[in-house]
Amino acid sequence: MNAVTPNRPEAPAPVGLLAELTHRCPLRCPYCSNPLELDRRSGELDTATWQRILTEAAGLGVLHVHLSGGEPTARNDIVEITKTCADLGLYSNLITSGVGGALGKLQALYDVGLDHVQLSVQGVDAQNAEKIGGLKNAQPQKFEFAAKVVELGLPLTLNSVIHRGNIHEVSGFIDLAVKMGAKRLEVAHTQYYGWAFVNRAALMPDKAQVDESIRIVEAARERLKGQLVIDLVVPDYYAKYPKACAGGWGRKLMNVTPQGKVLPCHAAETIPGLEFWNVNDHSLGEIWRDSPAFTAYRGTDWMQEPCRSCDRREKDWGGCRCQALALAGDAAATDPACSLSPLHAKVRALAVEEAAENPPDYVYRTIGSNVRSPLKEEVHS
Amino acid sequence: MNAVFPTPDAAESQRLLSPEEMEAALRDIGARRYHNLHPFHRLLHDGKLSKDQVRAWALNRYYYQAMIPVKDAAVLARMTDASLRRIWRQRIVDHDGDHEGDGGIERWLKLAEGVGFDRDYVLSTRGILSATKFSVEAYVHFVSERTLLEAIASSLTEMFSPTIISERVAGMLKNYDFITKDTLAYFDKRLTQAPRDADFALDYVKQHATTPELQRQAMAALIFKCNVLWTQLDALYFAYVAPGMIPPDSWRPGEGLIAETAPDQAAGGSRKMVAEDRPRLPRGVRLRNDETRGKYVLLAPERTFDLDDNAVAVLKLVDGSRSVAAIADELGKTYAADPRAIEADILVMLDGLAEKRVLER
Repeated sequence: MNAVTPNRPEAPAPVGLLAELTHRCPLRCPYCSNPLELDRRSGELDTATWQRILTEAAGLGVLHVHLSGGEPTARNDIVEITKTCADLGLYSNLITSGVGGALGKLQALYDVGLDHVQLSVQGVDAQNAEKIGGLKNAQPQKFEFAAKVVELGLPLTLNSVIHRGNIHEVSGFIDLAVKMGAKRLEVAHTQYYGWAFVNRAALMPDKAQVDESIRIVEAARERLKGQLVIDLVVPDYYAKYPKACAGGWGRKLMNVTPQGKVLPCHAAETIPGLEFWNVNDHSLGEIWRDSPAFTAYRGTDWMQEPCRSCDRREKDWGGCRCQALALAGDAAATDPACSLSPLHAKVRALAVEEAAENPPDYVYRTIGSNVRSPLKEEVHS
Repeated sequence: MNAVFPTPDAAESQRLLSPEEMEAALRDIGARRYHNLHPFHRLLHDGKLSKDQVRAWALNRYYYQAMIPVKDAAVLARMTDASLRRIWRQRIVDHDGDHEGDGGIERWLKLAEGVGFDRDYVLSTRGILSATKFSVEAYVHFVSERTLLEAIASSLTEMFSPTIISERVAGMLKNYDFITKDTLAYFDKRLTQAPRDADFALDYVKQHATTPELQRQAMAALIFKCNVLWTQLDALYFAYVAPGMIPPDSWRPGEGLIAETAPDQAAGGSRKMVAEDRPRLPRGVRLRNDETRGKYVLLAPERTFDLDDNAVAVLKLVDGSRSVAAIADELGKTYAADPRAIEADILVMLDGLAEKRVLER
């Protein structure tokens, strides 16, 4: 359709939309996936625009909408937005910290047809959890919120982001999920982008701890079959092959920021030179099909070796572009998390080295901070 | 069966063995006599035993586990050196744990429960073979009555246990569908504890067996211990494999078990679906016609299930009021097929969804 790039790979219909409704959040987790430069409230999209986005998304074939943030319930119109999802037949997934206004809005969200709640838990031990999340008294609020979700009959997933500050609590997270009545538990090792990249040395666990956590999860899966589904995301730096970032660039997911920029993944803005289109200027369909950011790494034409001739190129789609940039200095390189990348050994060594040292203090996520990504210290070869 | 280690003929002579020769002689005893060579263990590890035969093993071996701290306390009571006691007491801690629900005996109870036993039945030791008891008690007497060197030397079977544990865990997991990694958690700990204990005991024996006579005593003690283990398996084989002569009062298959369905209920209602169940999609799981892609999908928490035509036909009838049998009847009419054959297929499919927690009954 586009005369400029006639051989561009066709865009498959998107499956999921991550709606970052706001960057505001009562928690300050040091591994937050939001960008280092957080959007302010004054720039956030209004209700009508979100409703238009959702309508267009449903038309494109989106099935799942992840209402996220920041803390999505910090928006006054979260109930209205959720209702729009239900009206359009979109599956709504509230990704929440469970603190602040979340509990107060839960009944209304249920009433308008919310499908699923994913609640973050930072730790099992309250003191540890609240240190990680940077908010006192968060833990009891989360527990109360979880109890209410289950009482309403909504399916509950607990999401635990794992790092060296809580990796000793993996079996505790499993027990907690069972106790709370959650149907799913995500044991997600930290992915080192955004804030987590800044805090990597404070967060990186050692290999033995990672292996032990995997063993615990595998044993629990067997034991709790039919009771609790446990999803495990292993840390990239210790993996053999990278993850298909967001299911492949521009293949399944898109991410709309609080100000309306549409990204192929939540960290894509770290890649310099990419042009992101905004929902204020274009329809979602145009952005998905034609925007430079989405077409940049869609398909396999952009790949270099070893990806280009690799059998796995349409499995993991070269891994994560943001990580390739951060660690290899080139967003089109093979993700160095891949064991086939020439930089893999260095990345692995870096992880081992950082995990062996005493962890520095967390740099907590804050709106308006001057934190910059420490890319210069990386392993550019 | 050829020994892995050379047999020093010095063991037969009056010559004092060097520490290296002594260790080789001790290892040779294990290579010839350790119970990994017993036919019962071969059957166990190769998956040749029935579930009841595995149960008999778990139950009888419990008696051995439970008496180990009694044995170690007897050894401890004979040690006049506090530094020795500090090391030895760790064995008791390992087995008894630091609190309720901890320790090796507890993990063995978990294993027994894992193969279906009622905990209280196991604790009562009622169904244990007399031969097992005699054998285990002989071990306790031995360490109380013989010299401290012999008592410590008799523990040296631990040198050989990492091999048997690895074989056992791998073999049992592979060959028995009723055995899980959790059930075998006992052995995880022993893989690190046993070598630590054995290293100490071996050093002690090498240092303290300072005359040919003492060396012979230490070797005899280890042979005795190998026989303690071996005879327990003889008794199991005799009673539960061939000729299958179970003594009066000993455990018989069916006794002391918890009801077969009970563990499933304990695990949160994960029993298999039956024809009378009325399945339903819980809140948060929806069958949806995906017009963009021209197919039905099942939307669930952070997942989308692609469905084939049969699954769609079934799920359209899943409403919480129709039973599986009723769904099969309806589909039987629609497709002019045997409803009972359809029912069997439906049960498998619905069980798969229930396991993923996207279907309830």
